[in-house]
Amino acid sequence: MSEETRPAEGETAPCDAGRRDFLEQGIRLAGGAVVFLTSARAAASSAPSENPLSGGYDWNEHRYAYVIDTEKCIGCGSCVRACRAENDVPAGFYRTWIERYVVGPEGSFVDSPSGGIDGFPPAQTGIAATKSFFVPKMCMHCKSTPCVQVCPVGASYRTRDGVVMVDDKSCIGCGYCVQACPYGSRFLNPTTHTAEKCTWCYHRITKGLRPACVEVCPTGTRMFGDMKKEDDPVRKIIERERVGILQPHLLTEPQCFYLHLDKEVR
Amino acid sequence: MEHARHVFRVLLVLVVAVAAFVLGRALLVPKSYGLYGAYRADNVGEQARVREPRHAGPESCAGCHAKQAQARAAGSHKAVSCEICHAPLSVHVQGGAVKAKMPVDRSYQLCARCHRKIAGRPEKFPQVVLDQHVPAALEEGVCLPCHDPHSPKP
Amino acid sequence: MPEITGFAFPNDIHVHWSLMIVMYPYITGFVAGSFIVTSLYHVFGRQEFKPIARLSLAASFCFLLIAALPLQLHLGHPERGFNVMITPNFSSAMAGFGLLYSTYLVIVALEVWFVWRQDIIESARRSRGWKRTFYAVLALGTYDTSREAQEVDHKVITVLAGIGLPMACMLHGYVGFIFGAIKANPWWSSPLMPVIFLLSAAVSGIALLTVVYQAVSKMRRVPAEARLVSAMARWLWFFLILTITLELLEIIMLGYEKSEPWHIISELLTTRLEFSFITVQMIIGGLIPMILLGIVVMMNAYLHERLRNALSVASALLLLLQVFSMRWNVVIGGQLLSKSLRGLRSPYTPELFDREGVLVALALFITPFVLLWVFDRILPIYKPGEAERSPAGEAQARTDAARA
Repeated sequence: MSEETRPAEGETAPCDAGRRDFLEQGIRLAGGAVVFLTSARAAASSAPSENPLSGGYDWNEHRYAYVIDTEKCIGCGSCVRACRAENDVPAGFYRTWIERYVVGPEGSFVDSPSGGIDGFPPAQTGIAATKSFFVPKMCMHCKSTPCVQVCPVGASYRTRDGVVMVDDKSCIGCGYCVQACPYGSRFLNPTTHTAEKCTWCYHRITKGLRPACVEVCPTGTRMFGDMKKEDDPVRKIIERERVGILQPHLLTEPQCFYLHLDKEVR
Repeated sequence: MEHARHVFRVLLVLVVAVAAFVLGRALLVPKSYGLYGAYRADNVGEQARVREPRHAGPESCAGCHAKQAQARAAGSHKAVSCEICHAPLSVHVQGGAVKAKMPVDRSYQLCARCHRKIAGRPEKFPQVVLDQHVPAALEEGVCLPCHDPHSPKP
Repeated sequence: MPEITGFAFPNDIHVHWSLMIVMYPYITGFVAGSFIVTSLYHVFGRQEFKPIARLSLAASFCFLLIAALPLQLHLGHPERGFNVMITPNFSSAMAGFGLLYSTYLVIVALEVWFVWRQDIIESARRSRGWKRTFYAVLALGTYDTSREAQEVDHKVITVLAGIGLPMACMLHGYVGFIFGAIKANPWWSSPLMPVIFLLSAAVSGIALLTVVYQAVSKMRRVPAEARLVSAMARWLWFFLILTITLELLEIIMLGYEKSEPWHIISELLTTRLEFSFITVQMIIGGLIPMILLGIVVMMNAYLHERLRNALSVASALLLLLQVFSMRWNVVIGGQLLSKSLRGLRSPYTPELFDREGVLVALALFITPFVLLWVFDRILPIYKPGEAERSPAGEAQARTDAARA
């Protein structure tokens, strides 16, 4: 490429030299880039139906769902404690929690002292209550997740077996997913500075165990199941009984279903 | 076009920059990214191996603690996992061998967490008003003289 | 620990998007707004804006250079910030940031280059030693100053400004989309959000340039061009009316429809945001500048130059405050209400010395002005002795002087 070394008034080279140079260089660079990229892409491709997990677990064979029967919950908080112990959840943050509703004709009172981890004290409401109940909550593992939609780097994702998780090596800690979750189930871990939430104990369910919260629940409030298993009790409940979901108007398609859900619960 | 030479010079610089970016990006994208969706596929396996399961369920206690397991199975706490009142199995056993004593909580608060009468619990669930139920002052171990935690009556 | 009134989801009580996330749209607002002003001359050919065309382009560029900093300071993992460009998930508006920012940076840098090209060549010829090398490299080794080349430059600038204007709007508009598309948060979720952000960006840019232009004119000891001042006041008033209308419209709609979130939003506005929204954003920052600017615009012919300048600057300063409070009320306000729609947390006060604190925010605001000064040292914005007035401006100045 011809280079001008001496500045002079209005000096120019022959008409096409500039454009030709540009085209030559540009095509060379672009060609090189294309060749490099296609070879890199070919090396990384693989069949999409393959299973990323080893040890005999195939994620194509499962599609998990969760049922909560709010009529049975006694608000003991064992689930919250078990989750914290199983997953090293930092204090002040909750992967699962319990809410208590005390409802009367004048209004309703809701509380969740420390997420219910130490149970509940007697309610100081001042409401003449006609009904009261507990509602366990956690990540809904939605099919149409608002959180995965907004993650800018693809750190949040949903697996083939229906579990929504966060890749804490990719997460940049921007907090967008925390803002986008309508259920308040996400938080930013103060130590790792990445987003975190309930994973349905993925490290347990891929070994055939149940999530820790389901494992310890003493009243059978929490039930975990597989929609791809023929005679799964959770599947039967979801398919045949009257179940509710939280914030249905947002069309997130949550996979946690509630039996006996009250209108006061959001 | 001779007077537009500087424009082509600029465009060339741009093409170089874009090519450098594209090449650089191709080198930096994680290998397993995009296999199943817009995420790093390796993380699925990482999550499945993030830690060893800590809770093991009441069946795992029965092997060494048959007496308590039988009492529990025959009583009203048969649905209450050992790990609720004690701790996850991983605190006590690791690799098949005992590593530390399982914590035993004798406080009345442990029992009260489930059985104190508060708003919210189903009516049929056994719950008591503590001051009226206990004849003595509320202190550690006050429930134990009348109730065996592994098989409380009724 | 924050205090909660009512009931908030246990994870909801933290304000994750801090002062830095208030500063980011504030700064990109200046970028977009300044670019709108320079485009009024370079794209729409409004001659009264010629005296400020280079200044506003330089200002847009300097603010753009630090625009990514508030985000980097906020991230939990700033070292992974570049992931937005390596593995972007394009269903996320935030992923657009990498592409939009870099493309727009290129466009503005190019426009700066083409606008200042003659000056760069001149500086290359006149200087010696490393300065000469510096300017020679900056000129990319071409020294064509002929009239034809300048015409080519002129065409390219028009094209760049023409592409740059929607890009500037998108660079700021996508921020509004980030908030507006969050269906989980009723204070944010609205299709009006990107429009409000963009209009208020125009307000902030013109207000900023009003103040900067007056300051620069004082520093250069030249009078501020009257036609420019009244033109800026007119556009400022216009954008202000649109902005306030839409901001109010959103509240009015919510209040009229009275759907599920209205109860908690009205509580938010009347308790937590009473000062920052009603007093600062609407009255001090909205109503008063609207009146002052209204005087400047409607009574333009009867105003003495000094009064016009004073009123413009006063309105502009109030508007800089208004736009900041609007960003604050949207970003922070939206996090004060819980997604349970039953509770509010106590107001958020940023730390002084924190990485996301007040001093850092101030530094972020001041740095572009420092960069502007550096810019002027390398590429002078106003050429010494050059007639900065357009021919029409010259005629107007003569008439003004004759009347005074």
